[in-house]
Amino acid sequence: MKRMLETSKIILKDNTRDLIKKMEEAPVLYVIFTVMMIFSILVFAYATYFLLNVETNLNVSLEDVFFTIFFVFFLKSAADVYNHFIMSSPLSYSLSTQVDQKKTVFEIFLAVLFMDLVIWFAFSSFFLVALAAFGVNVYYPLEYLLFTLGVITAACVGCAVAINFFSPRRYRLLPTLILLGFILNSKSMLYASLMLPLAILHVGWSIKNSIPSYLFVKRKERLKERAQVKVRSVIKALFYRETTVLWRDKLLFSFVFSSVSTGLFAGYFFIYGEEILLPEVLRKTMSSFLPAMFVFLGVYVVVVYTAVFPALNLFLNEEKTMWIIRHIPVKNDVFIYGKTSALALCFLTAIPFVPYISIFMGFDQIAFLLWLLVFSYIAGVIISVPLGVKYVGKKSDIMLLYSVAMLLFAVLGTAATLGSMIRDYFAYPIAIYILTILAEIFVLYLSLKISSKILALNYP
Amino acid sequence: MIIVNNVTKSYGKIIALKNVSFKFDDSHVIAIMGENGAGKSTLLKICTGILPFDQGEVTVDGFSIVKDSIKAREQIGYLPEMPDMYERLTGREFLFYIASLRKVKGAENKINEITKMMGIYDSLDFEIGSYSKGMKQKISITSAIMHDPKNLLLDEPIYGLDPFTSKAIQEFIKNKKGTTVIATHSTQLAEKVADLVYIIMRGRVVHFDEVSKLMSKYGSMEEAYFHIKDEKDA
Repeated sequence: MKRMLETSKIILKDNTRDLIKKMEEAPVLYVIFTVMMIFSILVFAYATYFLLNVETNLNVSLEDVFFTIFFVFFLKSAADVYNHFIMSSPLSYSLSTQVDQKKTVFEIFLAVLFMDLVIWFAFSSFFLVALAAFGVNVYYPLEYLLFTLGVITAACVGCAVAINFFSPRRYRLLPTLILLGFILNSKSMLYASLMLPLAILHVGWSIKNSIPSYLFVKRKERLKERAQVKVRSVIKALFYRETTVLWRDKLLFSFVFSSVSTGLFAGYFFIYGEEILLPEVLRKTMSSFLPAMFVFLGVYVVVVYTAVFPALNLFLNEEKTMWIIRHIPVKNDVFIYGKTSALALCFLTAIPFVPYISIFMGFDQIAFLLWLLVFSYIAGVIISVPLGVKYVGKKSDIMLLYSVAMLLFAVLGTAATLGSMIRDYFAYPIAIYILTILAEIFVLYLSLKISSKILALNYP
Repeated sequence: MIIVNNVTKSYGKIIALKNVSFKFDDSHVIAIMGENGAGKSTLLKICTGILPFDQGEVTVDGFSIVKDSIKAREQIGYLPEMPDMYERLTGREFLFYIASLRKVKGAENKINEITKMMGIYDSLDFEIGSYSKGMKQKISITSAIMHDPKNLLLDEPIYGLDPFTSKAIQEFIKNKKGTTVIATHSTQLAEKVADLVYIIMRGRVVHFDEVSKLMSKYGSMEEAYFHIKDEKDA
């Protein structure tokens, strides 16, 4: 009995210690993150309260919320299995013991499921407390049970997707996708929750056939790119490396996709949001606010995705490769400039947002939209680069990304308001827009200088 | 020439190096030996400017690693213990990237020459993420030596290498001009290539001698190492 669930315990202990260590190393960051999380949950609770009490044309059903949560836990579980099983070299030790390998993988699944449930219960409890504080009736035990079953189903399907996607027999993914398709297509939380036994059977089958997926490596030869390989100037070499990785990780495509889709969504809500979201009585008072808010949110989402995310990762991703930066005779400033120059390419992927939203807003707004996008983009880079340098080693830290995103929200909210005032009250707003961008470029320069200071080693 | 003067380095409460001093002369191959956690890798990282230290001074060919770090680093080639590299780049792309940052003249010829010697040339267009440990080691060694550094710092250079490449590396080290410092557990490697040996224990230098003297006294480096270690432990 004493030897049960050893792998699960190790994973949970490792994750807990890692979190504690990060909190000790960067307490300010984690305080900001906690505050932002509490604030976000309160905002969601208030939005729920608002939508429950004010009649609008927006029909956010319980099913919509259910499937959003389902999708989040599905992705998280798949990512966890990828990290703790597929790409985990230390797991070789557990897999080489006399313990059945399938049992070891099953224990990994249990650890992932446990983490999912802890997150689900913690966040949902706080959300319900906040809702109750607003006076909303939160006594829906059956719905809560269905949501919880949905989280477990999502964990099962997420784990199965990760295992089968990296299987040498890729066709194993087919039943997983069929199951996922059934669940999502049902659009019913009762149906999705009742699929749990099938999901458990499926994840069991996937675990049974999981070992060939371990340490999946695709040996990729790149003969076509060979012609591009040459000695470049330092800045160009840094630019080339960053953009090559962005290209190979398919991130540039996802940036363009997010820009186009956000442009279309934000534009649609710019026109129809008032009708869909606002009750009749509020339309007169809020008719100018709401469209502007959707434009702002659109720009904000695009900037977080195409500026904040890659700018933070410029250095966050250097965790184990910092020895290269440290021992090469190149000044820190040059490293910072070279790496940041790659964001120019990321900016190009944000531009499709402007014409797509303009389809709805009218093309006469392009100057203002471009200004807002450029201003927001530079602001995102100003905030993100020094933080990325400061927290090297906290690779892909979602908490850091979230904290920066919320910080940026406050900055851009103020800037967008000022920008629209300039547009409305000045005869030649473009001149002022250009001046603000120039001033911002100076701040960017200072931000990069600060980043290079942060990057320097501290000798006594 | 690398001079380490009274350097102390600690990781929190753990002291990795305490008031250590070395003088790594030109035209010498110096082996740093010691048990796990003795401070060998820490010493090399300090000499390359990767790790800061708490007190003391390090100079590389007269340039302070703190005040003239760029000039000091220009004189160095470094192979880390764990050569993590950019996994989405091919071996060729990585080497040209390093060559660009180091402004290596005639990089293409040098890369071709060294990688052929290492037996990795035919795999240069595969992504590094798909390489075995030994292949990564070969790419990392190439990046450390392609600019003909005056001072070469190698942390476990033959670890993970096949016998053929291992021998080629040993020959290269023996014939190289300038200073070569090797941190290693391998007494055989020290015996074959080193002129001098420093033995460090728990962050302190406990013995320094010529390899030839130790060999004539004890018969082999292995015997010498065990003898000195037992003596100091006692």
